[in-house]
Amino acid sequence: MKTDRIYLLFLLFIFVSCNKMPEIDNNTMLDGDQIFDISLVQPERFLISARYPTPSALQKDIPVIIAAHGYTATTFEWDELRDYADSTGTFYVSQVLLGGHGRSYEEFRKSTWKDWQASIRDEYKKLSRLGYKNIYLAGSSTGCPLIINLIQDGFFENLTKPKKIFLIDPIVISSNKTLTMVNALGPVLGYTSVELTDGEQGKWYVYRPYETLKQLMKLIDLTRKELQSGIRLPQNTKLKTYKSTSDGSADPVSAVLIYKGMKHADGTPVEVEMVDSKLHVFTRLRGRDGVTEKDKALQMKTFKEMEQAMIHP
Amino acid sequence: MKKLSVIIAFILSFGYSGAQSAGLYELNAGITAQKTQKLYWENGLGVDFTSDFLFGKRIHLKTALITSRLGSAFRSNAINQESFTLGADWRFFSRKPLQIFTGFNAGYFMAHYDDPEFDDLANSSPLVQLDAGLIYRFAFPLSLSASLGYNFITSNGEQGPGTLFPLFYQFKLYYRIK
Repeated sequence: MKTDRIYLLFLLFIFVSCNKMPEIDNNTMLDGDQIFDISLVQPERFLISARYPTPSALQKDIPVIIAAHGYTATTFEWDELRDYADSTGTFYVSQVLLGGHGRSYEEFRKSTWKDWQASIRDEYKKLSRLGYKNIYLAGSSTGCPLIINLIQDGFFENLTKPKKIFLIDPIVISSNKTLTMVNALGPVLGYTSVELTDGEQGKWYVYRPYETLKQLMKLIDLTRKELQSGIRLPQNTKLKTYKSTSDGSADPVSAVLIYKGMKHADGTPVEVEMVDSKLHVFTRLRGRDGVTEKDKALQMKTFKEMEQAMIHP
Repeated sequence: MKKLSVIIAFILSFGYSGAQSAGLYELNAGITAQKTQKLYWENGLGVDFTSDFLFGKRIHLKTALITSRLGSAFRSNAINQESFTLGADWRFFSRKPLQIFTGFNAGYFMAHYDDPEFDDLANSSPLVQLDAGLIYRFAFPLSLSASLGYNFITSNGEQGPGTLFPLFYQFKLYYRIK
């Protein structure tokens, strides 16, 4: 009888866990139904295809970089690169909002990694069809495996080829190894949460539904396997990976897998630079606490390198 | 399906008749295959020893050396890595052909990143593992086991080699040497 009760309690625990819903503060959290990513309201401020839908011949020659943010983040993650580009006037930044992101917990929960990727595909196709000649791609964290998958998928075959791809702190192996057990633990946990700083409030989802963690695991596992088999970049497309040597989100070994798994079209190795940083996505400093001068210098050095690669390819 | 069931029943009954080992000690060696959850196949060799003085062959001492070079990294871009372990199992139903075991392993893990750019990354770690599973001892000198294991030391992006994951499955096909 006692054993039966224990089983019943256990089943009840599983049932309750499966139906867990986080307590969302609509007034302060991106997860709620009041705060959305601003690019949904004003796409012309973020997407070059919306800002310059009929580019002049001169504009078509200006390098444009499509910047894809990471899991649970928003366009905010690439604001500083856009500010840098605005200050130099040498290139455009098209900040895409990944599908399912920047909206609400429920929309995020229902989204798949292919939904996340769709906005990168859409913007790339638009820019290519509008005649932009110098298209670049930048990914941070989960933005990177989404871009790698585009290459593997042959997405660029009938489009203008990207000149160069920049991967910032790509995730192929998660630092949190519990993610590998998400299929078993996910339904019990329901969701996980993260602590945000005051400056990050409303810019990142606080809650991570296990369904999306499963999608993340699916994406990075697929990417790892694709890298294992080998990925060739399109003709004349270059790639550089920047990876923090200490990173609590994307394991630094992700850079090793990309270096071993990707090659230029001519078979030469892709570039990789391990950077002395403990920040995940070290190019995003806004909203963080305790940013050092060294962090700022590293961010600026990286932006300058990206700019130089675009204006002197 | 019915045919398969008859074959399995035949093998099991055949195995049962000669499963008990009469020798003072027993030495098994053979192939160890390991699949890490969401990562690589790593294969290699293992040895298992027991004796009457080890609680009537209930305790088995074991060692294994596995590498991804003989698994996922064979002709692929996977990372080359090795694990060496020493450990001991406790066998339940040790006189039966089908036994349950649970054990503890300690050892060493090493990965090779093949480029100086990655010299600052951790590439080795001690191993501390628990595992549990089933083993079937056939009448002919072979045994087959399957187990689930857990690595207590893994990496977190700040410490430890990145391809040291927690959960793994092991399969062993051993030949009874003595």
